[in-house]
Amino acid sequence: MMNRTRWMICTVLACMLVFFALPVRAQNDTPQANAEQIRQQLFSAQSKLMLGDNAAAATALKSASSLYESSLKPIFTKSVPEVATSIDKGFKQANDALQAGDGLTLAIARGGIWTDFLNASSQLAVQAVKANDGKTAAQWLLLREFTASTKFSRPNSDATKAIQAFISGAGKAEDAVATIHNDLFDTYQAQLASSLANADDAQKNGFALRQAEEVGLAAGYFNILASTYAEQRSEAALKQTIQVFNALEKVVISGDKYGYQLNMTTVQTALKGFRAAPLSETDQARRAGQLIRFVDLVAIEYKRGVRDGVVIKDIEIQEATTFLEASTAAFNDISQTLEKQDAEKANRVGTLLAQMKTQIQTTADPNALQASVDGIQAILKDIVPEKWQQVASTSDMDVIVSVLDQIPVAVKSNQYDLAESARLEAYGLLELGMEQRLRGFAPDMAAQIEGLFWQGGTDASTNSTIPGLASQIAARASVAEIKSTIAILKTTFVQAQQIMDAGKSTPTIVISNSAIIVFREGLEAVLILASLLASLRTLEERQFRRPIIIGAVLAFVATGLTWWAANALLQTMLPLGERLEAIVSLIAIGVLLIITNWFFHKVYWTGWMAGFHSKKRNLVNGVAVITAGQMLGLIILGFTSIYREGFESVLFMQSLVLEAGLSIVLQGVALGLVGVAIVGVITFTLQRKLPYKKMLVVTGVMIGFVLLTMVGNTVHVMQVVGWMPITPIIGLNLPLWMGQWFGLFATWQGIGFQIASAVFVIGSYFWAEYMNKNRRESKVPAGKEQKDQQEQVVASSVESHA
Amino acid sequence: MKPKTILLLVIFSVLIVPFSRILGADNEAKLDAVKTYLLGKANDLVDGSKVLTENADAYYELAKAANFDYAQLWKDKQDEVKAALEATKKQWIVISPFYEQMEGIVAGVPSLSHFDAIIDASPSGDEDPENAFDFTITLPSGDKLEKPGSLFNLLEATLWGTEPKYVSDAQVDVDGDGKIGFGDNLPDANVVKGAADALASYADDLLKAATDWEPNESDAFTALVVMVPTMSEYFGSWKTSRFVEGDAATGKNFSVISRLSDIKDILSSLQVIYDGVSPMIEAKSPEQRQQINQGLVDLKSFVEDIFKQEQDGKRFKPEEADIFGTEAQDRAQTITGQITQAAALLDITIQE
Repeated sequence: MMNRTRWMICTVLACMLVFFALPVRAQNDTPQANAEQIRQQLFSAQSKLMLGDNAAAATALKSASSLYESSLKPIFTKSVPEVATSIDKGFKQANDALQAGDGLTLAIARGGIWTDFLNASSQLAVQAVKANDGKTAAQWLLLREFTASTKFSRPNSDATKAIQAFISGAGKAEDAVATIHNDLFDTYQAQLASSLANADDAQKNGFALRQAEEVGLAAGYFNILASTYAEQRSEAALKQTIQVFNALEKVVISGDKYGYQLNMTTVQTALKGFRAAPLSETDQARRAGQLIRFVDLVAIEYKRGVRDGVVIKDIEIQEATTFLEASTAAFNDISQTLEKQDAEKANRVGTLLAQMKTQIQTTADPNALQASVDGIQAILKDIVPEKWQQVASTSDMDVIVSVLDQIPVAVKSNQYDLAESARLEAYGLLELGMEQRLRGFAPDMAAQIEGLFWQGGTDASTNSTIPGLASQIAARASVAEIKSTIAILKTTFVQAQQIMDAGKSTPTIVISNSAIIVFREGLEAVLILASLLASLRTLEERQFRRPIIIGAVLAFVATGLTWWAANALLQTMLPLGERLEAIVSLIAIGVLLIITNWFFHKVYWTGWMAGFHSKKRNLVNGVAVITAGQMLGLIILGFTSIYREGFESVLFMQSLVLEAGLSIVLQGVALGLVGVAIVGVITFTLQRKLPYKKMLVVTGVMIGFVLLTMVGNTVHVMQVVGWMPITPIIGLNLPLWMGQWFGLFATWQGIGFQIASAVFVIGSYFWAEYMNKNRRESKVPAGKEQKDQQEQVVASSVESHA
Repeated sequence: MKPKTILLLVIFSVLIVPFSRILGADNEAKLDAVKTYLLGKANDLVDGSKVLTENADAYYELAKAANFDYAQLWKDKQDEVKAALEATKKQWIVISPFYEQMEGIVAGVPSLSHFDAIIDASPSGDEDPENAFDFTITLPSGDKLEKPGSLFNLLEATLWGTEPKYVSDAQVDVDGDGKIGFGDNLPDANVVKGAADALASYADDLLKAATDWEPNESDAFTALVVMVPTMSEYFGSWKTSRFVEGDAATGKNFSVISRLSDIKDILSSLQVIYDGVSPMIEAKSPEQRQQINQGLVDLKSFVEDIFKQEQDGKRFKPEEADIFGTEAQDRAQTITGQITQAAALLDITIQE
């Protein structure tokens, strides 16, 4: 009985254990797990041979071969027979190599077997999707490689997500197949480039085994992409490239360095411009942006290099040609999408690009080339999706730097084509934006940046030669060398940006300017108010002071509201960026010109004051009891006398807000108000006679300086946003602080407008003097009366309230 | 108990295990364990670095008493100096792995990663001005070292004399083996004490930051994606270290503890993180969970195997080290790819 029970227990336990272990066993038997085991055994064979343990190497190879025979070979033979045949050859090659103690051939064979596995798994994943078997597809998709995970890019998960969507019924089979193709082809093309680069590195370091391993892998990755290569180029081209890869393997084994260089160059040439996977929409948008920018640059560079049908600067023609090639490459990448929009127009772009090539080769008239460019741009505006066109319009410094950062990443993975594309894109962004302005404000720096982007130049500080990025990429320089040039370029950018930003005043300048404006306008308001109130001296008249004060207080509130409204309006217009600053600065300059003009003509001051007194006299008119109408009139009088100053201040201040921010300007406003309050207290409380006229003259002159600075800065901003041409004053180098403090920049436009403004203001003064003189001569009594009136006004404002 | 009852219990207990797995009762991330592990290691580092400062202080006091005349110091206090230096070096060797065992987490989690630069990873401003982490340490003399490089590296280069500017001219037989060799020098006591104090201070800060850290899935996946594919860097520094190049090595660091040991420790910490998130992956794709898990296990055993050979006396050639490094990186790259796939399926953001 006990024995039977024990037997039962053991039987049940054994069954349960088998049941329990099954899932684990099944997991280990996935194609990926088997392939990985084989890969590791092959590596073990290679490393054991390398370390001199031939017996262990043979055991590892045998183990790999046996596992392949029992696990993957039956599947491959049935579903991907060509790949299975290739793997058989690979194992035979590996075995022969091991017998001969030939580590290099074994390394090449190992790379071939592994990439055959990857080839088989990608084909089987696609076959499974087509057979509506998503789960099997997902299993095969586990056997794959990924692009390197870097700071700038992570491996994408498009294929994995597409399979999941297909399994869940959310995605179509054809979409899943397309996504798997794109993801895997993109990955293996990157791996191909990376292996070729690694092979080069290994060759430089004298690591023959590593070199062989990488060449074997590269040939295998290319084999995965072979069918696409044949579709895009031709069967003959494919055959030729495969032959070159075979030759490359042979020279690596034989150690023929010259043959290696020759074949490697041929391989690189054969792969130039080849793109196995179509671009994603983001990449297509980027290429469209490049096309739009690069085409313009062809004309710009060409125009600089040709005069009267003769090439005067070879380098400019070379740059134009480079941009044309890049434009054509970008167009080729998106032509299929553009053809869907309008095939005829898309083809026309291709024709025009070809025409431009002929125009450059025949040194055609730059205007003819420009016409071709205009024709292309007009078509692109129609057929490039609007969303993509927006990508083309961004060109600030951050964008340039981020594009530059892609160069070392591309070089690291041996994608020199991609590096060149990024270089041209960064240069294009610079050329169409910052460089134009830099040529005006700092021509030396513009030349240095240009040199760093292209053929190189000399570092003035160290007098050393710096290589240019174009030369480095063409010579397939190392990542470290290219990084070094990019670092210098970035430093130069920072210096260039400082020059661009020189028009932006420092906080101290903005605070002092704001304070001057508020003090100046506030002083006028205080004087007007003091004058009005002081003239209401008798006990009966004093009741009229209250409505005037109420009006003044209301004006103060209204000024605050105006500030808020103006600020809110500006906030809605902020997307205009620097252009808004230019617009508001122009308005502020207008206001300032009026102020200074009026000031010197004394019309503003005396006329304005006399007008108020006249209004006041009409309102008061000897009536002892105030009526509602009079009350309203006096409130309006107080209001208008103060609000006018407030309105002017608010308007002017908005330009400074845009330049330095609200908090900085408010500090200046507070400072100015403190000054006004002090004068106000002195005027109303201490009732002392102040030198008002002198104060007004001093502040008036200060306003004049503010005006000149503002004119200089506004012209600078307008040049920065491209609203005004830039004509540098050759030989004149102004330090940065002169730009910051006085808006002085070495361009004819900036200095010219500042001189014109000064002439206007000073001329206004002399014109006023001339007019006054004429008036005095022609109307002596009237003039005398007016003078008396002015003196009375100023004096009355400081008389005590008896 | 009757046999039948026993039989039923056995059947029930054996069945319940796989069924509980099939039902997927435990698909939540277990990140508390990651934090507990981190805090354990951070505490070890805090305690260990305190001992390091005591040892460094002892050496500093001796040097100070000799008015920093190192030749005189050696002449007068040879035994005390030997003892103090030996203790400081030994303690460095003890605590360095404490950090390596949590490096995968500290360096991989964005909110903690600056500690990695300060404590273990940054080059000095002299070596690499562009990539050197910008921090300053103040020495007892009042001098400041700007961009000194990571503190473990600074201490190693100073204590073992691979950075000539931080050692005295006196060449003395510190280890008492009868010849002047590697590490036979008297380090600048100011730098030793300043660096040891700074390490203790930053270890405290790291412990505080780790205590405040609220682990989440995004942090965990980011740490894996950032740290797993760094094998080539570590193998690169091993390739150029004394362990491969011998006396021809030009690198100032990784001369005392083999970089292979560091890699092994780092992989251990990455396995801790992976264990924390693997239940989530299991829920989406058991095959993928198994694949990543197996990949990490294989990678670690691959490194352990090479390390063992090295410890057994095998001196690898640079090309061999290069081949091993490439193999490790290839494996790491595949594992990283699979982790990013899992993150995508789980809709978890990998941080920049």
